[in-house]
Amino acid sequence: MMTLMVRNIGALIVVFLLTGSGFSAALAAESVCLQCHAGLEGRLAAPVAAWDSSIHAQNGISCPDCHGGDPTDFAMAMDPERGFVGVPEHGEIPEFCGRCHVGVKEDYFDSGHGRALHSGGPQCVTCHGNHAVQTASLALINREDCSRCHEYGRAEEIKAAMLDTDRLLAGIQSDLDGLAKTGIRVREMEGETFALRNDFHRLFHTVDVERVREQTAAFQQRGGEIRTEIEAVQEELTTRKLLGAGAAGLLFLVSVICFLIRKTYRDEE
Amino acid sequence: MTQATDGNKERRTFLGVLLGGFSALLVAAFGWPVYRFLAPQQVGEGVSVRVDKKDIPIGAAHFFSFRGSPAVLLQPKAGEYIALSAVCTHLGCIVKWEADRGEFFCPCHAGRFAMDGTVLGGPPPKPLESLSVVLEGDQVLVG
Amino acid sequence: MRKRLLDFLDVRLGIRDILEQNLTKYLLPRNVNIWYTLGAVLLTLFSLQFVTGILLLVYYVPNPDEAFKSIETIMNDVPYGWLIRYLHAVGSNVIVIVLLLHMLSVLFMGSYKKPREFTWVSGFILFNLALALCLTGYLLPWSQLSFWATTVATEAAGAVPVIGDGLVRFLRGGAMVGNATLGRFFALHVMVLPAGLAALIGFHLFCVRRIGISKPPFGEEYVPTEVKDKFVHEEHPGGIPFFPNYAIKDLAVISFFLGLLVVLVFFAPGLFIPPAAFEPADPFTTPAHIKPEWYFLWAYQTLKIFPSEFLGLASQGAVMALLALLPFLDRGRERRPARRPLFVTCYLLGILLFAAISIWGHYS
Repeated sequence: MMTLMVRNIGALIVVFLLTGSGFSAALAAESVCLQCHAGLEGRLAAPVAAWDSSIHAQNGISCPDCHGGDPTDFAMAMDPERGFVGVPEHGEIPEFCGRCHVGVKEDYFDSGHGRALHSGGPQCVTCHGNHAVQTASLALINREDCSRCHEYGRAEEIKAAMLDTDRLLAGIQSDLDGLAKTGIRVREMEGETFALRNDFHRLFHTVDVERVREQTAAFQQRGGEIRTEIEAVQEELTTRKLLGAGAAGLLFLVSVICFLIRKTYRDEE
Repeated sequence: MTQATDGNKERRTFLGVLLGGFSALLVAAFGWPVYRFLAPQQVGEGVSVRVDKKDIPIGAAHFFSFRGSPAVLLQPKAGEYIALSAVCTHLGCIVKWEADRGEFFCPCHAGRFAMDGTVLGGPPPKPLESLSVVLEGDQVLVG
Repeated sequence: MRKRLLDFLDVRLGIRDILEQNLTKYLLPRNVNIWYTLGAVLLTLFSLQFVTGILLLVYYVPNPDEAFKSIETIMNDVPYGWLIRYLHAVGSNVIVIVLLLHMLSVLFMGSYKKPREFTWVSGFILFNLALALCLTGYLLPWSQLSFWATTVATEAAGAVPVIGDGLVRFLRGGAMVGNATLGRFFALHVMVLPAGLAALIGFHLFCVRRIGISKPPFGEEYVPTEVKDKFVHEEHPGGIPFFPNYAIKDLAVISFFLGLLVVLVFFAPGLFIPPAAFEPADPFTTPAHIKPEWYFLWAYQTLKIFPSEFLGLASQGAVMALLALLPFLDRGRERRPARRPLFVTCYLLGILLFAAISIWGHYS
């Protein structure tokens, strides 16, 4: 996001010669991590671009939120005294991510994946990647990735069991996005959907087909309630369009009548 | 300019009537939203208000907002609660509680009301409006 | 009943005389065309802005902490608030379209020429006032779009030599767009500019009425009128009466444009109101792809084309000054387009250039 902002604002500066405006002030408040690492090479620069494309970047989660340290001080940025944490070891990763993703961590440690952690089992990064982390989706469950460690069969079953609900939730999210773009207040529904999706994605981490199947109905129901609410709004929007079409039609009709009256005068002029 | 022909006149009358009709329809179609836009919105209609019992000591008055207008809660005797509209029935000023006399007094034109809202003196034409009270645990539910 | 009312008013105000003079005995040229109705269309649209603006004022709160929320309330909670707001916001765009058409038709027919210089100049100032109203109104919802469009627009003033920085600060009421900016833009948008606009519309109409309607420069019988050096009200004996003959045509075109406005409001408000208009302003995050409104794209793009900001701004100023002073520069009597090849060429090239630069600005 940083480089994106830099690029944007850079363009604006070229265009509008933003002399001494507060833009630069806003920029300076951003982390020294990015400023330094962007200028480094290879392995040390890679996280900048990777993070830039991530869901973390989109939501304003930046380097120090995970790695600690002091993002305002070049010299002390990576000092352990300022809380800096470097690259976590394989076995530490679930705890590292789990500082924020608490619920998922719980389900993960409960699962076959989690129990196998110290015997070479997968941790968060194995499936989600690290700096370039994306929104979790069912696409993460696929033959290629799962069969790096085990057979795809059971994973496929879980994916199949989750598919309908995932589609429902994704559909709700995209409908809400659409409504938000027309000025409809959807904050509440978005909050509910967000929570619902998180709970649902948590469910996957149990890697337990039976539990997924058991709980799907509850998710379907909660999703269905939001969907009904959305449909009511959409219906209202359709009604508005009908009324609008009526009003516009009436105005055009009046316009035509006036032209016809004008014609009767024209004939006499 | 030539004279109006009969055919044209007739057509004009017909079109004129149509135009008048549709215009009236349009005025209504756009007038209604404007009316609704400006019409007062019902504030908390049918909504009950909860007040903690500890806010209403015996012999004191607790003023609060009830469905958009001021109201008052009293506890004349332990466990007995009275809720009244605090709007004077004379000209709509807000009555004051005079604890030493145990009366409501309207500062605008010296109207006086008893604890139960009945008029004791002054210009008010009728008693303060009484509101229903339900006791629920350590709260009083008004309305 | 009607006669008695008229009698009553006539005795006191001489109303019959006024009506006759301005309606039934107000004669327009026989070949008056449809482009002459655009003034009436604009008058209607401006009245609509006035009414919807006052209605919005009932619920709008001019404070950075509340503004966006109050708009959200208007859009979601107040009955038909969305309709009133869209009529106002989309209406402003339709006004700019009709203003451009009105000006282009006047240019094409050479109606700005002597003795109608005042009509043109007052009209040109009206055009600029309307744009200023658009610009100030844009900030009021305090959305991301509002905030950054205003930041960019006020920043452009920084290119003025010497006083540039001071000017930007003055426009914003501070170093950055903020509370102070909203206060002054609000005052401008709801009081200063509308009052100026109303007064100037009055003057514009007075000029039109005083000097008389210009004859459309078309048809074989058209000859350029000799312009004398004393005041002459241009009469059109044997013309058609304004009322009812021409007024009904005004009404037809007005209804058409209102219909168009309603179609846009109900079916394509997104054309003029992008998604960024529904996000609250965030002074620390510049949204990607922030663009000015379509009618400012040409200005935005010219600033980018020129090697220096100042040259860009100066060239914009030059174009605007040229347009404003056109009747004083173009002094020939000829108004027939066919006999003004140079003007018509420049006219068409100008339109193309405007469109091309705007489109370039949109996609760049």
